[in-house]
Formats: sequence, C-alpha cells, structure tokens
Amino acid sequence: MDAGLTNAEQRELENRLQKRQVKEFMNLFSGLVDNCFVSCVDDFTSKALSGRENGCLSRCVLKSMTTQTRLGERFAELNQAMTAEQQGKQ
Amino acid sequence: MSLFGLGARQPTSAEKISAVENELKVIAEMHTRMIKICSTKCLDKTYREGELSKGEAVCLDRCSAKFFEAHQKISDQLQQQQQQQQGGGGRF
Repeated sequence: MDAGLTNAEQRELENRLQKRQVKEFMNLFSGLVDNCFVSCVDDFTSKALSGRENGCLSRCVLKSMTTQTRLGERFAELNQAMTAEQQGKQ
Repeated sequence: MSLFGLGARQPTSAEKISAVENELKVIAEMHTRMIKICSTKCLDKTYREGELSKGEAVCLDRCSAKFFEAHQKISDQLQQQQQQQQGGGGRF
C-alpha cells in the first residue's frame, strides 16, 4: 500500500491500528448483543430468559460469527481483485 | 498511497501516518457495512439453526460480490458526472 514510512512511523501506525482493532471488537460485541436480543427476546412475562430465548441467542451468536468469518474471506478476495483492477487502470 | 490535496510539499510524519490510517479506515468501514447489509438480506432472523444453511451461505457470497460491483459502478458513474461538471475528480 505504501513505501514511505520510517520504522518509527510504522510503529505508530501499528499502535493506532491495534487501538482501532480493540474498538472494532467492542463494536462487534455490542452489535451482536443488540442484534441477537432484538431477534430473539420478546417474551416479557418473565424477567429471566426462557429456554427458547437462550437457545435462540446461542444460535444467533454462532451464526453471526460464522457469517463474519465467511464474509471476511469474501471481502479480502473481492478487495484484492478491486485493488488490482484499479492499479491496472492507472 | 493517495495523498490527495497535499500538493507538492513533503507531507509531515503525522500526515503520512494519518493518510494510511484513513485509507484502512475506509476499507474497514466498507467491510462492516457489507456484513450488516448482507446479513440482513440473507440470514434467517428467527435463528432456528446455529449453522449457515447452504442457501444462506451462497446468498452471502453473491451478496458480497454484488456489493463490490455496485460500489465500483457507483464510484465510476459519480466520477464521470463530476468530471463532466468540473473537469476533475477523485477515486472513492
């Protein structure tokens, strides 16, 4: 992507990217909670999660993480292809 | 690396780092948006199963491919229109 950073600059960049990754993970987590709660929990006759709701939440997390992984792979492939095409045009 | 707008002078250290960081940020945001949109379009929201069905998996693959193609098409068209209006433009 670029060839112009010194070692010190590279370290600073990695530092920032690491902080960004932590933030991204927190966003992923809270997004997961919100999304799975909205999809799975709708019975307020009790203040404890029902067995059905519990099961749904587990399946929701599982499916969401599998989706993340799969789309992560697709994204990397597609992004690489797009970048290559853009460079070809230049 | 695109240091668009910084002109002929040498970019500072901070500017160089920010430029790369921003480029990665744009890509990361696109990644997040794609996941959100394709999940909405493809997944069974009742979560009867914890595993991706074959149909859902194929849908996700196709959705991501189309997302990128749409991104490209829209970027090209926008750039074209801007060039017609101003005689300039940039890459999205």
